[in-house]
Amino acid sequence: MNNLIRIAVRNVLRNKRRTLITLLALIIGVGVMVSVRGLLNGLQGSMIESTTLGQTGSLQVHKKGYLKNVLASPLDLDLPSDAVMLNKILAVPHVTGVAPRILFGGMVNLDEDTLFVQIFAVDPLREFAALPKRKELIAANAADFVSGKVQNGVVVTDELAKGLLSGGKRKDFSAPTAILAPDRDGALSAEEAKILGTMTMTAPGEKKIALVNLALAQRLLKMEGRATELAIAIDDIDNMDQVNAGLRQALGSDYEVHNWDEIALLFRDIVYRQNVVSSIVSAVFMILMLLGVANTMLMSVLDRTREIGTMMAVGVRRSKILTLFLLEALTIGVLGALAGGGVGGLAVFYMHERTLRIPLPTSPIAFVVVPFVTWQYIVTIVALAGVGAVVFALYPAFRASKMRPVEALAGG
Amino acid sequence: MALVALQGIHKSYQLGKTEVIALKGVDLSIEAGEFTVVMGPSGSGKTTLLNIIGCLDRASAGSYQLDGQEIGHRDFNDLAEVRNRKIGFIFQNFNLIPVLNVIENIEFPCVIRGEGGKTLRQRVEQVAAEVGLTPQLLHRPDELSGGQRQRVAIARALITQPQLVLADEPTANLDSTTSKQIIDLMLRMNREHGVTFLFSTHDPRVMEHARRVVYIHDGAIVDGTARAAADVAKMKEITAHA
Repeated sequence: MNNLIRIAVRNVLRNKRRTLITLLALIIGVGVMVSVRGLLNGLQGSMIESTTLGQTGSLQVHKKGYLKNVLASPLDLDLPSDAVMLNKILAVPHVTGVAPRILFGGMVNLDEDTLFVQIFAVDPLREFAALPKRKELIAANAADFVSGKVQNGVVVTDELAKGLLSGGKRKDFSAPTAILAPDRDGALSAEEAKILGTMTMTAPGEKKIALVNLALAQRLLKMEGRATELAIAIDDIDNMDQVNAGLRQALGSDYEVHNWDEIALLFRDIVYRQNVVSSIVSAVFMILMLLGVANTMLMSVLDRTREIGTMMAVGVRRSKILTLFLLEALTIGVLGALAGGGVGGLAVFYMHERTLRIPLPTSPIAFVVVPFVTWQYIVTIVALAGVGAVVFALYPAFRASKMRPVEALAGG
Repeated sequence: MALVALQGIHKSYQLGKTEVIALKGVDLSIEAGEFTVVMGPSGSGKTTLLNIIGCLDRASAGSYQLDGQEIGHRDFNDLAEVRNRKIGFIFQNFNLIPVLNVIENIEFPCVIRGEGGKTLRQRVEQVAAEVGLTPQLLHRPDELSGGQRQRVAIARALITQPQLVLADEPTANLDSTTSKQIIDLMLRMNREHGVTFLFSTHDPRVMEHARRVVYIHDGAIVDGTARAAADVAKMKEITAHA
């Protein structure tokens, strides 16, 4: 076998120009595949970070059945948000923060104008400690909301602010303001509020949203000490499943625990689609590269017909001829993929060091993308290229091994 | 017992829609230690005959015994074993493996059957010395002259200590001086080591040294009994009538 490997490697180096062209195709193909995977990893990592640290938390705890019934009875399936409950959650390993929230529909009334809004009630101190990215979306003029100084504070989206200011009719939010909503018993309730500033939402469609202090919402909805969801922050997203199990064990069957991707279905769908498209593009790249290898091997077989005959004449069996050509394809495949993996890895490293900022059309805040690629991915691609090269070289190798010695010696 | 015994060997093949008959019932017997030449005009069937004797091709009909064993009907993998252990080949175009150096080319038939180590290397150096290749042991074929390449081919054919060496036009691509050296080398191997040689050639210089000449014409042996020095005039006569 060692001799076959030695001959295979020398044969690969024999026609340098042809080998170089095939290797170049592999290097470019694998390099692009690794670079694109690195970019996607960075983009998805950024999306996940922005979602888990800015919207959903890494996990969420709800009363059992809440997610299924959220549209019908969002307030009925509530849960405690007192210190006992929060401390129980904080005691689960890897949990670093917990933020109680109430999500409900209501109205914002400013003087004589009233608008329907989606309301997120949060405890500012816990919310911004557990989900620091959310703070980045809030304008500087709402600093008093972030600090929790103003108990009846409200922050509205830029679009909602424009609506409330009635297209320039008002100059500020100094007019009397109230939040109105049906409480959990169905009776319309109102609380005096103060609009402190504005915020930006990253996802398209999130235009009429208000962030209110949890204490205000609890009074308004008659839900003191209660919340509808608890957003959980953890030390590392890789520990998510472990924390999920820990929370289920700590809280029991009255509660449901969801990972972020079960909540932010849009993002999960985006990540899934990106991965599918990336896999299809990678597969096409791989097939094109391997067709190049197959072509090279076929030319090699045609060029070396007499040599194959000579080898058969001195007693080389068909299986060894087949193995020789497969080894040559394997050598080209692995060498090209290794070099391509190195080039792609370097490109990803360069982008990782520079950090990419991708502007979002719906937000003034750019996506910060830090591309990365795992060793496992590169090793998988190299292995696939090696195995694929062998598979794609089967036809030429089989053709070589099936020659009759007398015909091969005559040059085919 | 004859080393090679052919009886009623027929060989035909399809060329498009035409059936070409290359050999018509050839009977031939070659004893161990012979230095035999197969002669005949182009297309007479001598290369086909050598290919069948060399197990590179199979007869359409007839019996072929090598060293007392019927091998005419074995499959190609079995024949690979026979070629490797019992037959050596010397080709007109040398047919060396370009990526291997002289040592590696010579030892190749042994390496593929699993031999290796110092003993093999010593044997290779010994055979290389006998054919006068010691200074070129590490050269690749493209660094050698035609004569040197053919010496490598002879060494490769002899390294397995085969019972039979088949040489198809071994001097056709060599100048006269080199041809003479190569013929002398093969004669010496035949004389000193008893190696059986069977040639296909048009070269009168090879004929001059042959102890037996087999004349073949239109796929049949015309005269295979001459055991004295080769009769060049007879060869010319047969060739002229072809």
